[in-house]
Amino acid sequence: MLVEFELIERARRGDDAAFNQVVQAYRKRILGNIARLIGRPEDVEDVGQEVFVRLYYSLDQLRTAEVFEPWLYRLTVNAAFDYLRRQRRRQESRMSDLSEQQVMLADAAAGGKRNEEEQRRTRIRELVQSLLEKVSEEDRILLVLKEVEGLSLKELEKIYRVNENALKVRLFRARQRVLKAYEAQEAQKSDAPKSDAPRGA
Amino acid sequence: MDRMDDKLDALWAEYREACPSPEASADFMPQMWRRIEEKRTATVSVLRRLAQVCVMASVALAVVLGAVVIPHVQPLPVQTTYADVLADNHVNTYVDVLTGDIK
Repeated sequence: MLVEFELIERARRGDDAAFNQVVQAYRKRILGNIARLIGRPEDVEDVGQEVFVRLYYSLDQLRTAEVFEPWLYRLTVNAAFDYLRRQRRRQESRMSDLSEQQVMLADAAAGGKRNEEEQRRTRIRELVQSLLEKVSEEDRILLVLKEVEGLSLKELEKIYRVNENALKVRLFRARQRVLKAYEAQEAQKSDAPKSDAPRGA
Repeated sequence: MDRMDDKLDALWAEYREACPSPEASADFMPQMWRRIEEKRTATVSVLRRLAQVCVMASVALAVVLGAVVIPHVQPLPVQTTYADVLADNHVNTYVDVLTGDIK
């Protein structure tokens, strides 16, 4: 716990100053979780604020301060899930627009402002995001929490309120799907130079 | 397959590194409180609108009941007492006594 139970209790009873302190204590951690769940740095703050607004209005439903952290994780997961669903709908309705990768390439070519390290990070983010698109939003979040955030099955059980075996099955299937997509991408990458090579050379 | 498994694990680690926990901007807290206030105002206005709709519906229902139902209500039959019936049957008895027809 990053804060005392007493502080959460005070926030629960409607003390705005206590709520402010709780937000300040958890803000960095939650923003980090969101950054990895959604993979879009420009929207992290917006989703983070949504999490804390939801927390503010649901704090009175919290039974005990002991379950505060899984509760907050749950709110984060739900807000990320809503965001990803909105994004998917938006992407479907803007099929004619440039893909994000194209926009990125254009940005990089035109400005050349990003340094190499930032470009490498962006490439990794894009690669992982494209792989995660192969699974549902629910499974994507579950995978990130397990594989990237490093949460244990016990912790996931508390957040999802689902038994460990069900979680294991879902995780296994989601991972297999991502693995398959990764293999396909790698195969495509290794095929690309051959097809680009001049014929008869 | 194992090789790909390892590669995927390495990719998760790289992804984690590529998405560091960002620092919140200076505007984070004020904007969050603005959103909390906006939501509170929206909830209050929804409740107010709901109350207005309830009042309007009640008034409309009362008018409909007054206009449609009340004209069709049958008047209740008059409940007469034994004394009324007796008086009706002997309307002139008192007059008769006075005029000396009944002794």
